[in-house]
Amino acid sequence: MDQQFIPRGLQRTSFERFLVWVLPWVLMLGIGLYAIYQCLADGLYHTNMDNRFAFGLWIYLDLTVIALGAGAFFTGFLLYILRRDELKAVINSAVVLGLICYSGAVAVLMVDVGQPLRAWFTFWHPNTHSMLTEVTFCLTCYLTVLVIEYLPVILKNRKLRQIPRFLVFEFELHKVMPVFAGVGTFLSFFHQGSLGGLYGVLVGRPFAFREVLGIWPSTFYLFILSAAAAGPSFVLVTTWLVQKISRKRLVQPGVFTYLGKVSGSMLMVYVLLKAVDTLYWINHTAPLEGAAAYAFYTSQSFGSWILFTEIVLLGLVPAVVLLTKRLREIPAVLVSAAFLTCCGIMLNRFVMTIQTLALPTLPFDLLMSYFPSWQEVATFLAVVAYGVILYSLSFRYMTLFPQERDIRQ
Amino acid sequence: MEQTEQSKSRYGMVVDLDKCTGCGDCVVACAIENNVAPAEQKATERTGITWLRVYPVTNGEAFPAHDAVFVPMMCQQCGHHTPCVSVCPQNAVEVDPTTGIVGQIPQRCLGCRYCMTACPFHARYFNWWDPEWPAGTEAQLNPDVAPRMRGVAEKCNFCHGRLHAARTRAAAEGKSNIASPAYTPACAESCPAQAIVFGDLADESSDVARLSKAHDTFRFLSKLGTEPKVYYHSAKEWVRKMADQSPAV
Amino acid sequence: MFPFIYEFRWTPAHLIFLGLFFSVVVVIASTVGVALLRMLKAFRTQKVEAIQWEAEFEDLPVAARVCRHQLAGEVAQRTCHHDFDCRSCEMHPTFLAKYAPALAPAAVTEALYGFSMPLDRYYHRGHTWVKPEGNGIYTIGLDDFGAQMVGAPDRIVLPPVGTTLTANGTGWKVAKERATLRVLAPIDGVVVETGTREQGWYLKVRGSEQERDLRHLLRGSEVKPWVMRELERLQIALSPAGVGTSLADGGELMPEMWKQAPQKDWDGVWGEMFLQA
Repeated sequence: MDQQFIPRGLQRTSFERFLVWVLPWVLMLGIGLYAIYQCLADGLYHTNMDNRFAFGLWIYLDLTVIALGAGAFFTGFLLYILRRDELKAVINSAVVLGLICYSGAVAVLMVDVGQPLRAWFTFWHPNTHSMLTEVTFCLTCYLTVLVIEYLPVILKNRKLRQIPRFLVFEFELHKVMPVFAGVGTFLSFFHQGSLGGLYGVLVGRPFAFREVLGIWPSTFYLFILSAAAAGPSFVLVTTWLVQKISRKRLVQPGVFTYLGKVSGSMLMVYVLLKAVDTLYWINHTAPLEGAAAYAFYTSQSFGSWILFTEIVLLGLVPAVVLLTKRLREIPAVLVSAAFLTCCGIMLNRFVMTIQTLALPTLPFDLLMSYFPSWQEVATFLAVVAYGVILYSLSFRYMTLFPQERDIRQ
Repeated sequence: MEQTEQSKSRYGMVVDLDKCTGCGDCVVACAIENNVAPAEQKATERTGITWLRVYPVTNGEAFPAHDAVFVPMMCQQCGHHTPCVSVCPQNAVEVDPTTGIVGQIPQRCLGCRYCMTACPFHARYFNWWDPEWPAGTEAQLNPDVAPRMRGVAEKCNFCHGRLHAARTRAAAEGKSNIASPAYTPACAESCPAQAIVFGDLADESSDVARLSKAHDTFRFLSKLGTEPKVYYHSAKEWVRKMADQSPAV
Repeated sequence: MFPFIYEFRWTPAHLIFLGLFFSVVVVIASTVGVALLRMLKAFRTQKVEAIQWEAEFEDLPVAARVCRHQLAGEVAQRTCHHDFDCRSCEMHPTFLAKYAPALAPAAVTEALYGFSMPLDRYYHRGHTWVKPEGNGIYTIGLDDFGAQMVGAPDRIVLPPVGTTLTANGTGWKVAKERATLRVLAPIDGVVVETGTREQGWYLKVRGSEQERDLRHLLRGSEVKPWVMRELERLQIALSPAGVGTSLADGGELMPEMWKQAPQKDWDGVWGEMFLQA
C-alpha cells in the first residue's frame, strides 16, 4: 500500500510486516516517553541519581551514543574532504545514524538537567572555560549540520523528488555538502574532545584528572581519537546488522573492509596513546594529587581487569585484527572486531562516567553504588527505540545504500 | 579564580575537631538560616539537602585504641582552581572578588550537576524535589535568603543572607564597606562548643588567620591544590593524617 | 554572547570562543543560503529540467547507465558519465570515427522479439523515437518497446503547443491506475503540434537542424543491441530479488509479461525502464 513511497528498484517487506516490526519499538518508545514525562513533571527524584552520584546512566548514554555517532562526521570527512568515493555506499546510513545518536543525546540531556527551559542561558552568558559550554555550542551546531545533511536523503524520496523545487534544492545542497562535511568535522573535533575534557579537567577527581596538553587535558585528544575509531566500526556493525535483518546485500564487501581498516588504524593510534596516557597518569598525575593509582583498582567492582579489558581485550586486540589484511577479509572476524571496538569505546565511556563517580574522594568515604531506576532505563531504551524507528523508516522510504539497487541487478 | 587571590578579604573558617561533639546544632541552624526545605519523606542521606553535614570518622582501631571524631563538612570555599567554578557552563557559580566566597546563583543554574561531579568534598546538593514547607512553617522562612527551586544545585555560601544584612547595615551607617568580619554564619553562631571560628583569613590580626596557621591545623584533600578556605584543627595525629589519605575503596 | 549582555568579558578566551561560534553559524547559514539562491536561480533561468535530469541520472543504477558504445560492442565496459549527452563526451568522436552507424535510407525495420523498430529514425534511451521531417521539424513518439510496456494508459498529458522541451527533461506524462510516468523528451525544441496514441506519434517539435544536437540519439546498428539490453533489464525489473530469469526464448514477450504480472509495481518497472530514479 505504500509501494509508491519506496525507492524504485528496491525490495521492501509488506506494509503489514513493517508495522509488526515497528510496533514493539513504538511501545518501548511510549514507555520511555511516560518515564520522561514523570521526570519532567515531578522532578528528577524519579531517577536513582543522588548528590553523590550526580551523573548516571543518561550521561553515560550521551557520551556513548555521541562516540558511536562519530561515524557521520568521520565518514563525511573521508568522503567529501579526502575523496574516498567508496564511502558513498554508506554515507547516507552514517548520516542517519549520526542524526539519531546526536538528537537522542540532546533529548536525554534535556531530561537530565533539572531546569531544561534554562538551556539557552548557556548561549546567553557562556562560561568559556567550561567544557560543557563547548559541548553545548558544538552539539547544537552539529545537530543543525546533521539535519541539513539528512535533508537530501529525505528530499530524494521517490515521491518528494517529483516536486521540482525539492529535487533542485537537494541537487544544490549536495554540491555544497563538502562545506558541511568540513564544518561537521571541525565541530566534532571540538565536542568529542570536550566530552573527554569534561572529565579530564576534574581536578577534584584524581581518577579522572589528566594534565593539560596545550590548552586541553589529554582525555580531550583521546576522546577524539576513540570516537574516530568507534564511528566507522559502528557504521560497519549496523550495516551488517541491517543486512542480516533485511536479508539483503546492501554494500560491496570492499566497503566493509575499508571501514574496518580505517577504524583499526584510528584504534591503534588511540590504544597506544591511551596506554602512554595511563602510564603517565599512574606514575605521575595521580600521585601528585595525593592518590595512589593502584587504590582505584582495589575494589571488587572495579578491579584492574577493567583496565586490561579496556586497553587490551577491547582495544589492542581488535586493532590488530582490523589491521591484519588476512583476518580483516573474513567477514565474521571483521564484524566481531568492529563490534569489540564499539564495546571498547563504550567501556571507556562507562569507566570515565560511572567509575569516576563511584570512587570516593573524601578519605572517610566508601565506594558509592548506583543502580538506575526504571525511569532512567526506560528513557535509555526510548532512545534506542527512537533510533530503530527512525532508521527503519529511513531504510524503507529513503535510499540509504545507493549500491543496493546495483547489487540486486 | 585569579580574582580570589587578588581580593582584599578571604573569608574562611577554622573548625576545631577536638571540640566538636557531633551534636548537629550547626546543621539545624544552617538549614533554618538558609531556608532549606524540610526533607521530603522519601529523601535519603544522599538525596536530602544539608549544606553542612557532619561525618563521623573513626580510626578503625579496636578498643582501647579506638577513637572517633566528627567532621562538619560544608563547602570548603576553594581558593585556587575552584573545581566547581570553571566547569559551570553558564556562570552560575562565581567567586565574589571582595570576600573570596564561592557563590551559587540558583536562578541561573541549569541543573546539569557538573559542579557536583567536580566537587571532591560533596558539598553541593541538588533539589531532586520541589521544596515544600508544611502549612504554617513558611512563617519561619528567612526573608533574607531566597529559597531555591527544584532542579538546581545549591551549597553553603557562608550565610550570604547575613553578609548582605551586614552590608546593608554598613550602608545605612554610611560606610562603603563592612569591617570584616561583620557577621557570623549560623553554624559558627549556633555551635555550643564554639568549635567553629569564622573570619577574614587575609586579616593577619583575626582569630581565624591566627588559628589557620596554628600548629595541628590542616585542610582536607590539600594535595588537590584547590586551597580550601575551611581549615580544621585537631591535636590527634591520626585525624591530621586521615585528611589527606587516599580513600580506602 | 554579545558585548551588551551581562557577563560578557573582553577576554581572549571569550573572543576566540565566540568568534569561532559565530563563524560556524555564519558558514552554516550562508551555505544553506547559497543552496537556496542557486535553486531560485535555476528556476529563473529554466535550468530545472536539466538539473532534474542530472540528479536523476546520478541515481540511476549502473546497469541503466551503460555507454552506447559498450552496447554496440565497441568497448568492453564503459559507464556513461555525461548524463547521456554525447556532445560533452571526450570519447564519442573517437568511436564515431571508427564506427559510424547511420539512419537507414528507406523504411528498414528491425524486428526483435515482436518489437518493430524502424531504422529510419533516431531512438532515445528513454524509449522515444525522433524522426526528422525536414526544415527542423521532428516527430516524436514512443517506440514499440515503450508502447507495449505502457499498454493502454488511463491518461496522457501532452505539453501544449509552444512549450519548450529540454532534451532529457519531461516530454509528456502518462498515468495508469496509480502509476505515473514521465516520458523523457529526446531532443530540445518547441512543440508545434500534438498527436495521439492512435496516430502513433505524440509531438511534433521545431528543433535544431545541427547534427550535433542529435548526436546523443541511437541509430542504425546501435538499436538492436540496445533493445536486447533493455529486455534484459526489464526481466530483472520484473523478477523477484536475486533471481535472474533467463532471456525469454522469443515470441511476443511484452504483452505476456504485462498480463503475467498484473500485481507488479508498474510504477517501479516503468521508472526503471524509462530512466527515472
